[in-house]
Amino acid sequence: MLEIQGLDVFYDDVQAVWDVSLHVDEGSIVALVGANGAGKSTLLKTISGITPAERGAILFSGKSLTNLPPQDIVDMGISHVPEGRRLFSNLTVLENLKLGSYTPRARRTIEQSLGRAYDLFPVLRNRRNQKAGSLSGGEQQMLAIARAMMSRPRILMLDEPSLGLSPILVRTMFELIMNLNSQNVTILLVEQNIHQALKIADRAYVLKNGKITMTGGGEELLSDPEVQKAYIGARWSRQ
Amino acid sequence: MLEILNLNVIIQLLINGILFGTMYGIAAIGLSLIFGTMRIIFLAQGSMIILFAYVCYWLFELLGLDPYISLILIVLISLWLGAGIYRALFKGAVAQEDKNISLLIAIGLMFLLENLMTVFWTANPRSISTSYTSYVFRPMGIGIPFNRLMGFIMAVLSTTGVVLFLKKTFIGIAVRAAAEDMEAATLLGINPHRVNGTAFAIGTGLAGIAGVELATIYPFDPFFGFIFVLKAMIALAIGGIGSVFGALLGGIILGLLESLASFFIGGGWSDAVSYAVFLLILMLRPEGLLVRSVKKA
Repeated sequence: MLEIQGLDVFYDDVQAVWDVSLHVDEGSIVALVGANGAGKSTLLKTISGITPAERGAILFSGKSLTNLPPQDIVDMGISHVPEGRRLFSNLTVLENLKLGSYTPRARRTIEQSLGRAYDLFPVLRNRRNQKAGSLSGGEQQMLAIARAMMSRPRILMLDEPSLGLSPILVRTMFELIMNLNSQNVTILLVEQNIHQALKIADRAYVLKNGKITMTGGGEELLSDPEVQKAYIGARWSRQ
Repeated sequence: MLEILNLNVIIQLLINGILFGTMYGIAAIGLSLIFGTMRIIFLAQGSMIILFAYVCYWLFELLGLDPYISLILIVLISLWLGAGIYRALFKGAVAQEDKNISLLIAIGLMFLLENLMTVFWTANPRSISTSYTSYVFRPMGIGIPFNRLMGFIMAVLSTTGVVLFLKKTFIGIAVRAAAEDMEAATLLGINPHRVNGTAFAIGTGLAGIAGVELATIYPFDPFFGFIFVLKAMIALAIGGIGSVFGALLGGIILGLLESLASFFIGGGWSDAVSYAVFLLILMLRPEGLLVRSVKKA
C-alpha cells in the first residue's frame, strides 16, 4: 500500500535519510526501529510532507505523493501521530478531535468519527470539554491517537507512542495498536521500545544512521543475535 | 490643583481613558492574532489603521458618507485587503521559514504606507467633524462624548465577534491550534497559508474598525501609525499575548494610564509613562501583566 523507493532526505544541510526503500502492505503492522537520531522521525515527516524529499519516490496505492503538500497527503488517507503527542493543550478535547477531521473528505463524516473515537476511548467523552493540557499522560496519548483516527486514515503512522508512559500503559498502548490493526488500519510504527514493537510487528526495518541495515519478520528480528546485542540487551531478551 | 480633584473629574478621566483605550485594544487583538500564527509583530498594523482612517475621511469628504455607514464598507475592504496582503507579500516569505524576512516586509510595508499617505493626503493632521461629533451625553453630570461611546461599542462588538469566530468556526479553531503548534496543525491537514491568511484578514479587519474609530475621535497624520503600533504592543504586554479579551483589557488599562498621567503629571507625560510601563512589564513579567504565570512544563 505504501511504497518508498530510494529516498534521500536532508535536514538542515545534513543528510538524515540515505537511499531508503521500504514497503508497507495493506493490513499489516510494520515497525521502524533503531537508536535515537537514526532518521526514523525524519522518514515519517517526509511521508507526511512536512520535510521535503531530495531524491526518491513515495507511492501510496500506486499514486505518487512525493513532495505533495501535507493537507493533500492527509486527505489521501495517511495520518501521522508525531512524537511527543503534540496536542493543542489550550484547546478542549472535543476541539482537538474535531481538528482531526479538518480535511474535506473527513469533515463529511465527522459525527460518526466522533462517535467511534468515544467508543474507542470512553474517557474522552467524559472529558470532551476539558482542556487537552489537563489530561494525564496516558489520556493525552489516547487523544493523540483518537485525533489522528478522526481523518479516517487507511494507514496510521505512530512516532514513539509509548514514550513517557508507565509500563502498564505501554502494554495498553501496544494492545490498542493491535486492536486498531484488527479494524483494518495499517500501522507504520516507530519505536525505541524495540522489544515490544518487534513482538507485534508483521515486518520490521532496522534503521541506523539514516540507512536500512536489516529487514525481516518481527519475531525473526527479535531472535536475531545481532539485534539483541545492539538494541535489546540481555536484560530484555530474557522476557 | 486640589480643588478640582473631585469625584466627577476622576470619573471623567476614567471614562475618557476607557473609551480611548478600546482603540489600542482592538489594534492589539489584531497584532496578537497575526503574531499567533506567524510569530512576527506586524509592525505595519498602525499604518493600516491610519490608512483606513484616511479611507473613512475620504468617503466622508468626497462622497459625504457618514463614518458609521462607511464602517461596513471599510470592514469588508479591510478583510479582503488583509487576505490580499498576506498572499501578495508574505506567502512566499513564510515558505522560506525565515521570520526575519516577514518582519522586514512588515517594516517595508509600514514605510511604504506612511509615504504613500503623505503623498495622497499630505502630512497635515486630518479629522472628521460631523454634526454629532461634539455631542456629549451628560448622565449624572459626567460627560460621555457620543463618538467615543460609539468607538467603545464598536470595540466590544468586534472583540466579541472575534472570540466567537475563534471558538465556533472550524477555521477559527484551526487558527487557535496553529498558534499553539503550526507543525502539529499541518499534520492534521490544516494549510498554514489558510490560517495565516485568516489571521491577517481579521487583524486587518480590526485595523479597519480602529481606523474608523480614530477618524471620528482624534486628528491623525500619516506618521501616527508607528506610535499606534507601539501602543498596541504595550497593550499586549499588559494583557498578555494570545488572549483576545486580555488584549482589549490591556488596551483599556493603557488608555486609563495615559488619561491619568496626562492629567496628574502633565500632557506631554502620557507617552513617556506608557513606554516606562512597557519596559517595566517586560522586565518584571515578560509573559504579560494579566496572564496567570506560565506553567513550568
